[in-house]
Amino acid sequence: MSQLRINELIPEGRLLASGHLACPGCAAPLAMKLALNALGANTIVVMPACCYTIIAGPWPQSSLQVPVFHTAFATGPAVASGIRAALDTQGKFDTTVLVWVGDGGTFDIGLQSLSGAAERNENILYVCYDNEAYMNTGIQRSSATPWGAWTTTTPAQFPEASNKKDILAIMAAHNIPYAATATPAYPVDFIAKVNKAKAMRGTRFIHLLSPCPPGWKCGDDEGLELARMAVQSRVFPMVEVEDGQHWRVTMEHAGDPVEPYLRRQGRFRHLSGEQVTHIQREITARWESLQRRAQAEPLVPAGAM
Amino acid sequence: MKKVMVGNHAVAWGVRLARVEVISAYPITPQTQVVEKLSEMCADGTLPARFIKVESEHSAMAAVIGASATGVRAFTASSSHGLLYMHEMLHWAGGARLPIVMVDVNRAVGAPWNIWTDQNDSLSQRDTGWVQLYCETNQEVVDTTIMAFKLAETLDVPVMLMLDGFYLSHTAEPVDVPDQEMVDRFLPKRAASYKLDVESPHAFGALVKPDAYMEMRFLQQEALQQVPQTLAAIEKDWQRMFGRSYGALEAYRADDAELLLVTSGTVTSTARAVVDARRAAGERVGLLKMKMFRPFPTALLRDALRGVPRVAVLDRNISPGHGGIFAEELRSALYDIPDAERPELFGFVLGLGGRDITPAVIDEVIEKTRAGVVPSREDLWVGVNP
Amino acid sequence: MPKHTTTSGGAARVPEHITTTNGARHVPQVAMSSMSTLATRTGSWKYQYPAYHDRVAPCNAGCPVGIDIEGYMNLLREGRVDEARDLLLAENPLPAVTGRVCHHPCENQCNRRALDEAVAIHAVERAMGDLAHQRPAPVFRSALRPERVAVVGSGPAGLACAYHLARFGYGVTVYEAAPAPGGMLRLGIPEYRLPRDVLDRDIARVAAHGAEIKCGVRIGRDISWDDLHRTFDAIFVAVGAHASRALGVPGEDLPGVRPGLAFLREVNLGGRPDLGRHVVVVGGGNTAMDCARSAMRLGARVTVVYRRTRDEMPAIREEVEDAMREGAEFVFLANPLAFTSAAGRVDAIVCERMALGEPDASGRRRPMPTGERFTVYADTVLSAIGESTALDGFYPDVQGSASGLEVDALGGTSRDLLYAGGDVTDLERTVADALGAGKRAALGIDRHLRKHHGDTHELNALRFGEGNLSAARWLRRDPIRRTDPINQVVGVDDLNFTQYQRVRRHADPHLPSGSAVTGFDEVNAGLTASEAMDEAKRCLNCGVCTECDVCLIFCPDAAITHAEGGAYVIALDYCKGCGICAAECPRGAITMTQDRP
Repeated sequence: MSQLRINELIPEGRLLASGHLACPGCAAPLAMKLALNALGANTIVVMPACCYTIIAGPWPQSSLQVPVFHTAFATGPAVASGIRAALDTQGKFDTTVLVWVGDGGTFDIGLQSLSGAAERNENILYVCYDNEAYMNTGIQRSSATPWGAWTTTTPAQFPEASNKKDILAIMAAHNIPYAATATPAYPVDFIAKVNKAKAMRGTRFIHLLSPCPPGWKCGDDEGLELARMAVQSRVFPMVEVEDGQHWRVTMEHAGDPVEPYLRRQGRFRHLSGEQVTHIQREITARWESLQRRAQAEPLVPAGAM
Repeated sequence: MKKVMVGNHAVAWGVRLARVEVISAYPITPQTQVVEKLSEMCADGTLPARFIKVESEHSAMAAVIGASATGVRAFTASSSHGLLYMHEMLHWAGGARLPIVMVDVNRAVGAPWNIWTDQNDSLSQRDTGWVQLYCETNQEVVDTTIMAFKLAETLDVPVMLMLDGFYLSHTAEPVDVPDQEMVDRFLPKRAASYKLDVESPHAFGALVKPDAYMEMRFLQQEALQQVPQTLAAIEKDWQRMFGRSYGALEAYRADDAELLLVTSGTVTSTARAVVDARRAAGERVGLLKMKMFRPFPTALLRDALRGVPRVAVLDRNISPGHGGIFAEELRSALYDIPDAERPELFGFVLGLGGRDITPAVIDEVIEKTRAGVVPSREDLWVGVNP
Repeated sequence: MPKHTTTSGGAARVPEHITTTNGARHVPQVAMSSMSTLATRTGSWKYQYPAYHDRVAPCNAGCPVGIDIEGYMNLLREGRVDEARDLLLAENPLPAVTGRVCHHPCENQCNRRALDEAVAIHAVERAMGDLAHQRPAPVFRSALRPERVAVVGSGPAGLACAYHLARFGYGVTVYEAAPAPGGMLRLGIPEYRLPRDVLDRDIARVAAHGAEIKCGVRIGRDISWDDLHRTFDAIFVAVGAHASRALGVPGEDLPGVRPGLAFLREVNLGGRPDLGRHVVVVGGGNTAMDCARSAMRLGARVTVVYRRTRDEMPAIREEVEDAMREGAEFVFLANPLAFTSAAGRVDAIVCERMALGEPDASGRRRPMPTGERFTVYADTVLSAIGESTALDGFYPDVQGSASGLEVDALGGTSRDLLYAGGDVTDLERTVADALGAGKRAALGIDRHLRKHHGDTHELNALRFGEGNLSAARWLRRDPIRRTDPINQVVGVDDLNFTQYQRVRRHADPHLPSGSAVTGFDEVNAGLTASEAMDEAKRCLNCGVCTECDVCLIFCPDAAITHAEGGAYVIALDYCKGCGICAAECPRGAITMTQDRP
């Protein structure tokens, strides 16, 4: 079959209601829809401060048709730990506790809480939807903002000067059962990872690249294409790590040049050719490093064992 | 069953008897024995609870918030900087109307470092929507811990219970440990009126606009205002079943008193001895113990203090730039009493950072109260050597 | 395809707060949700609207016959084989023929070329044509008309015109000068490309629809054109172009120098002439390739002499490849200057070496003489540099009667009720163009006889893009229901290849060239039915919704849902107009518009 029938691989569901308050073209509700459809109604969502605090809908509404607990910025994993403990004491071992957090709540203010939960190997699924800045407050840089990016706190004359924090490696270093990158722009890959994570116990971490048209300064309909360009140019490789040890690249990456990806976004428009070259070199170096890690656990060819 | 135990272990016994289901805590002096004892109890199965050993107090409070929101009975304990680190989440628990019970072992706040008792840690959390109860004895700690859950779950408000660091936390006293079956009758399993439940999915704590936020705060206030009478009813049951009660306020030898000492925490016990001595000498000196600080029991205080000529408030705390916190709030409470019946109120700041409040210190308080026609300043410092 | 819809303006669910009292307002003690976000009509944010508009696949627009290729591919994808067959036959009476011999411009237009390789449309069509022989489609005819139409010539143009006229309800008589019908299909195209039983079965379909085919009758000789005019209400002229153009060089009349068409006609009617050991074919078109390959099958060694290079050859690419594979030698950039003789018979051809200059009117680079000469030896020379028409006793006043008849958009000549199509006109000389012209003329005759005066707009509504007219649409019997169609061809930029996987095109299986040249068996064995079905599934279905759910899956606002019958409903109350559905649609079937649907 020429067209991958993704509808046969993606579960249907009505756990995300329309009328949520995401900006047009925001990928986060798409990610939420996909995740909830895969996880099903037996899911409780913990939502620290992030764009989704607004997106989910103001009281007395909720766009999520599963229980949601809104909580303070730094507390997602801790609150989830408490919910998990309470569910376990009630014998509800099969309920998934899903922490749904942005990059600020993960990379920055929530990292301690996340590290604590991961170290305890809390039985929770943590999804960071990373739009690469504090978008809810109006596009301020976070430690997930890539080098060279414009934000309102890293103006074009002095753009972001730090490299994006390698959160996947940090989480993998906790030796949790599962850590992966994904993007809703590749829903089949994302769903496969959610399903894999769902079937596991312990702390499971999925780092989603979630395009933000206002923050990335792209068209409302361009976000998903940009996310795919990010993957194919190896800016944001699709990876999974099991038990902190077994690294695997989960799809083919074309290795496209990064420049078209950067040039289509207003947040990178100020970059000089030299700066683009620098970014390209960094990507190549990181990819080579990833290759070395991934080679430590080569994929066994089908039928070889 | 009588047992001799330190205050921190009394906390653990109260938690055990209340059949708490989820505990989350982080160690800090002088609270550490609480988490150690609870860990033992969880480990040996005498307390079948999940104990989440988190990486910070902020997370400890967050974890019990999550557990409580899921409908189970949850507990934490902290002290001083740990409590302050929880601050944001104390607000969250209060606003989310979660019936969490926590213990704060009162300890002074740095800088500079000080591990000994005073009340500045808990009193700086007075606006977070928690009930605050200050205990005097280890027996009161055990009993109050259990009653606190009943109170919290009746009104959907969190309750914080205080005991003085070292003076109570590390002091062994005989404790009559309540019978578990009787406690179970007194405090059945929690039946949450709302909770995180996949069978009935709701979102909690989403954005509330100005058109309703204030109503929710009003309802929180209404619930807290019901605490004194609710606690009174709970104590009545406790009295009936276990033969003990404490009250939001306790008047000790206060009838016809010309001078009433107002105390909280362990200093109360010292003051009782001083009062006894003064009464024996024929002096009309009495004592009012304030167990409840939040909600502030204004009506009860007015009744207790109306017509008393002089009142001396002993504050083991200071609101810098203002004065002793109990005294300040008492002054406000007494403001509406007609001039003729309003006591002259002397506010003493003493015992900070664990400095001893001996009978001699309290005698000094009494003498200073008697000596002045009116207080020379709002904060009268005792035992300071400038 | 099912009709997609939109919704808006339904009743909102009114919030019913969990009640605790504070005066008149009911607010709960905690911020606990009691309703979904459906009460929030986020659709009001949008400034543009998505709309399902089926558009035109480039293959359809590029097909000279006017076949709804995308339509039958789509039906095949769904396993609706008989419906696919009927849709194909609604436009093309000879699919088993065209599946074999058409130059398939559809494949040149195929958007799939940007992904991997074009869909092998010809192979699918051929399989469908062969399947229609085993499982014939029911004969369709509209209400019978009293008028009768004469069709002169039974080549693809004549057969198509007769077929469609018969389906439109007319009585049709086809006159064929040759002993058997088919025109150039029978006389020009060798059997190894188009087996005669295949041709016969396709022609039988035309007869089955009621067209009477009279062979051995040459109009203008056996029956005068005037007599024909008196007997019939309209005439369609499609006598083809059967005369080989002369080379115009000395020695052309020598024995052993033959017009290629005459040679092919002899071979195709069963003759097996002795050509000697070495045959030179002059020309680079399909006739030249047919001559070369037929000559090889008669035992000759063949050299093709062509004045330009391979890139400029007008022959179908596969034919050139086959000729090369079968052993023909090619001498490019060679222009015949003269034939030399020995013993009264041609023995060589003197050529001039050419070089390519500037492009000419056809866009191909013009061959320029270099002055260098060389000789190619030949026992027989077959000239195939082009064909010309020959009309007996025809009306000299009809425009183009000497060179190629000039016709209007519906095949009408300058003479009333005289229509023409195929190689006899001045249009493209291909089988597909002839089939398309026959259909256009049938439609023109129908309009004329029914005194139907439609405008250009009406005609354009019958077209695929700017392509040929659809007979099914003319009959208002198009089985494909299109969603708010826009007659706009979908280009590569309108597609999103993300959801498509690269899948190799099924190559045509060929007889081994060594055995192919030993006889006239069909060289291209064609795909099996199941291979053809697989190939059909490579179709991207450009511009046409296949209900693949990509829009529904990717909609961040969950505003797209399934409707009854497989279509989609867009809830405009919630759609924010982000355009992701249109951007992600693999096939350009969703358009963002400023106008509220």
